[in-house]
Amino acid sequence: MERLNALEYLKLSKSQALWYNIKLFFSKIPAWIKSLFVKLWITIKNFFLSLKEGALDIKDTFVKGNWAVKLSFVSFGAGNIYYGQVMRGLLFLLFEVIFIVYTFILPTGGIYWIRKVHWLSKGATVGTVQGAMKYNPVTDTYGWVAGDDSVRVLLYGLLSVFFVIAFFVVWRMQIKQCKINMELHGQGRKIKGAKDDLRSLIDEQFHKTLLTPSLLGIIVFTVLPIIYMVIIAFTNYDAEHDGHANLFSWVGFDNFNAFTDFGAGGLGLALGEMVGWTLMWAFFATFTNYFFGMFIAILINKKGIRFKKLWRTILVMTIAVPQFVSLLYVGQLFSQQGVIGAFLERADLLPQVMVAQNQMSLWSNPVSSKILLVVINLWVGVPYMMLSATGILMNIPADLYESSRVDGANSVQQFMKITLPYMLFVTGPSLLTSFVGNLNNFNIIYLLSGGGPTNTEIGTVGGQQLGHTDLLITFLFKVTTGSGSKYYLASVLGIFVFIFVAFLSLIVYNVMPSTKNEEDYS
Amino acid sequence: MKNNNTSLEKKSMSVKTLNAVTNTVIYAFLIVISIVWLIPFIGIVLESLRCESTGQVAYFFPKQIGFDNYVRLFKSDFPKWFLNTLLMGVAVSIFQTGFILSMSYTLSRLRFKGRKTLMNFMLILGMFPGFLTMILIYKVFSDLGLTMEMAPVGLIIVYCASSGMGYYISKGFFDTIPKSLDEAARVDGATRWQVFYKVIMPLSKPIIIYTILMGFMAPWGDYMMARFLIKGNDAGKNVAVGMYDWIKGSGDSLYANYTMFCAAGVCVSIPVTIVFMSLQKYYVEGVTGGAVKG
Amino acid sequence: MASVKLTNVKKIYGKDTVAVQEFNLDIADKEFIVFVGPSGCGKSTTLRMIAGLEEISEGTVEIDGVVVNDLQPRDRDIAMVFQNYALYPHLSVFENMAFPLRLKKTPQDEVYERVTNAAEILGITEYLTRKPRALSGGQRQRVAIGRAMVRDSKVFLMDEPLSNLDAKLRNQMRAEIIMLRKKIDTTFIYVTHDQTEAMTLGDRIVIMKDGFIQQIGTPTQVFDMPLNLFVAEFIGAPKMNTFKTNLINEGGKYYVTPFGAKIEVTGEKAELLAKKNVYAKQIVLGVRPEHITLADENDPAAIACEIQVNEMMGSELHLHVIVKGGDKLIVRIPTVSLTAEQREKLTYGNKMYITFEGKVMHFFDPETEKNLLY
Repeated sequence: MERLNALEYLKLSKSQALWYNIKLFFSKIPAWIKSLFVKLWITIKNFFLSLKEGALDIKDTFVKGNWAVKLSFVSFGAGNIYYGQVMRGLLFLLFEVIFIVYTFILPTGGIYWIRKVHWLSKGATVGTVQGAMKYNPVTDTYGWVAGDDSVRVLLYGLLSVFFVIAFFVVWRMQIKQCKINMELHGQGRKIKGAKDDLRSLIDEQFHKTLLTPSLLGIIVFTVLPIIYMVIIAFTNYDAEHDGHANLFSWVGFDNFNAFTDFGAGGLGLALGEMVGWTLMWAFFATFTNYFFGMFIAILINKKGIRFKKLWRTILVMTIAVPQFVSLLYVGQLFSQQGVIGAFLERADLLPQVMVAQNQMSLWSNPVSSKILLVVINLWVGVPYMMLSATGILMNIPADLYESSRVDGANSVQQFMKITLPYMLFVTGPSLLTSFVGNLNNFNIIYLLSGGGPTNTEIGTVGGQQLGHTDLLITFLFKVTTGSGSKYYLASVLGIFVFIFVAFLSLIVYNVMPSTKNEEDYS
Repeated sequence: MKNNNTSLEKKSMSVKTLNAVTNTVIYAFLIVISIVWLIPFIGIVLESLRCESTGQVAYFFPKQIGFDNYVRLFKSDFPKWFLNTLLMGVAVSIFQTGFILSMSYTLSRLRFKGRKTLMNFMLILGMFPGFLTMILIYKVFSDLGLTMEMAPVGLIIVYCASSGMGYYISKGFFDTIPKSLDEAARVDGATRWQVFYKVIMPLSKPIIIYTILMGFMAPWGDYMMARFLIKGNDAGKNVAVGMYDWIKGSGDSLYANYTMFCAAGVCVSIPVTIVFMSLQKYYVEGVTGGAVKG
Repeated sequence: MASVKLTNVKKIYGKDTVAVQEFNLDIADKEFIVFVGPSGCGKSTTLRMIAGLEEISEGTVEIDGVVVNDLQPRDRDIAMVFQNYALYPHLSVFENMAFPLRLKKTPQDEVYERVTNAAEILGITEYLTRKPRALSGGQRQRVAIGRAMVRDSKVFLMDEPLSNLDAKLRNQMRAEIIMLRKKIDTTFIYVTHDQTEAMTLGDRIVIMKDGFIQQIGTPTQVFDMPLNLFVAEFIGAPKMNTFKTNLINEGGKYYVTPFGAKIEVTGEKAELLAKKNVYAKQIVLGVRPEHITLADENDPAAIACEIQVNEMMGSELHLHVIVKGGDKLIVRIPTVSLTAEQREKLTYGNKMYITFEGKVMHFFDPETEKNLLY
């Protein structure tokens, strides 16, 4: 579409400008998607280019290197030791020895596990020996003879693969160091010894010291389990195939296909229900909190209102009291026996539709429980928003208000023209964060409604009753912990959550102004 | 001239009265809000003192007041759960603070190769539901004996291990400290480690306290992870799981334990609220700083 | 106390953003060097490379003959004063100044001795127990200088130390730095964007633009013989008037013909032109505002012009005038030389005649912008 220049744009009336901006936004989408793919393509290309460069560099090092450098290609650390970096060299060598012993020499080492996994070949089991009850002629009894445990086989297999990758990374690393040493030596500059290495850990290399514990924790407790669980999505791992008593096997894309099947046996409808409500919930939960919290903050901050601290403290109490206490209690208030629930019933305030279906509490009707969840979420979430809104309100330069008053703005206009745009601008990124937080807001749903009431039209999914208020995350929890423990389902749901969040973040970061021009309001 | 004056006066009068009216409306609104926000807390305290029955009732004010529920509470498993949670709170607040501070400090103030990549990587990693990791972790932990009654130890590890990924708020804080302070210190002869603990740490009291506070509060509210590692073991429960089972447990658990649940709620809330309220200032700084920074 | 030598220093940010290049400079022991240039010219980057706060992409930096490229700032034995002072907010003034000594584990007696000495010199003794936030801008600056002083380091680096101060305080601090220099007597490298600071402080000035050195010289050299048009316009305030005109050679004498006037080139400049065998050509002529004088209407060297703005500065009058053809010039006339009647006439819209002497002109090549006399 036709772009206007700045002066032409200024000629437009308000409605024309709005229409122009809307058109502009949509006309940009194709280019935006294209640029996304271009970026992706460039990243991939750069990756391969860097591989190529690396290969050339390795070749160059080999050609120019002396015997020690050449030796490092098979025996790690030789180049380091030659140039006086004995400690580094020995560590590299030790790594290589351990790798070779573990992978090739140990009978139950790397190769053993990697071969047992039967990576992704559909129909094959993970592990080979099935455990079984067997007759033991010595004791004359039947006893359990353990076979492979698929969970462990897959884990060890995965770790062994990581080890192999690490081997190549270290190989490359020490070759790179050989090259650096060669160059430094050529220029007559000093090559760092063990003492310098250790000293640099609190100075030049301080980031390594600081990051190592955190990164180790993240790799072991997040990266590895997530990769593992993504792989599980391609198996039938559940309580029946728990890996120990009964091996689990590879099923290809069957688990994903089930979710695109909208027929009788498929899970497509169930997924649709969950996704629909998850999005709706996140939307309402985020924006009701946002505006109500801001509203209260503005009221409390209004000039001339007294006891500001008191009002804030009362609200902040809800943050201090652990959520599960207040949520469980408030949830119970609305149950049929609870103070409010019982009152509604006695006073005949329940809607006729519900009474007709014998739904005697707000929690037993899908619509009312959804509304109730949003309302109770207000009670929990507004204080947070009120606090951050207060902080931001105080940061709005007072002269903005003064000059607007001189220009003749009343307080409503001030809110619309100054406060709201400022708040939106500053809190834009945090809106995304809280939206994502609400997508995964397990506590509030699970502690209040437990996902209920049951969705009778869908019935059971993976052995669990799907509820009308089940988010992806609560249902993920249910299929994991419930009887049957459909871990593979949990894994697929988890991947859906990821795709969801990633997609949203991508859009928001590309559209939102405050992620780009950070300076505008400062 | 005179006319003009009086009309202005009138105008200013009407502004005044209008202001008074709006203020009254606002006060009324705030009072209503306060009542709505306080009622659950008052209710919970009243219920915890109710002696005539242990189940849920449809009236607000108890007919018989006493400390029966508290007495029963201290004879139940609750003290054990409370200690479990307290232990976790203390441990998490220490270790998590270490992880978060080192991560956020590094990402904010040190420049090294791969810094941007690392941040993007953690951003993407954070988009997976964290609970997913528990399935494998549970398997491994049950082999290591870190579930059931040892679950508190397992949970401490789970809460702390990946906490470096939650670096955003404190990084936002570190970003506001001028870079030239680091540079001045380095020229003055400090190593980066000395810059960290002699210059930046003393300036970071608010964010350190905020991080400690968050670490302390986390185990009190966690149900999901805790439930999964504890399963049904009474000795290993934290307060959230234990009290949840009183309310939502099978059979007539609700009738037997409802008032005790409220008493437990009061017992849990008091220490946490005291800690929180006394450090509220730092919490507010953290929240607002985080919101501004995104 | 040390010499500093930079050889072919280059700084590249990212892949191809060059901030500094071809930087060669020998700084003698106890010399006061000023890097000056507009923002983004690479002067601060160079200073930070000397300090070790930026990595050196290419070339070497030597302090006292030792290549320091691979050394950390703390191993280079330098002191530095930052533009925003960079005082540690949680430490008192005393501890701020003692900070470098504490890191070296200096005994308390010596710390006390050196800090109080420095404080004495800078006149901040009474603030020693205060925190930085309780000080004014000027006092903070003194503390920052004091912190650098107590180090007794080889080189003293200052990165725009005065730019956060208001004009009056800046003048005062400038004078104090000149006095301070006599007391501490070490090698100074001083970065500023303000040519007045550069001229008044430096033994030698390094003028930079877009990452390249434009000229290195004493204040007199860069003022009297600017190497190119950029230096000529950068040094001196108000800036030098430059305009295109012709240089002609008649009977062995050189003349310039600005705006219809004809002025003979005299003195050293004429000799140099002859020596360089410069013939008639189009040039860019530079004349400093203070070298322009009022002229008689009938003088063949007089240029007619019209006054657009007159700024009464007190001791002198700055006139912005426009000549035939639209060129604008600035003229600076000391007020004492004017009668009240003359002053009256020098106002907006009036015509006047100006001229300048042959020995004050600067000649630049219109293409290369280089000074023709070099």
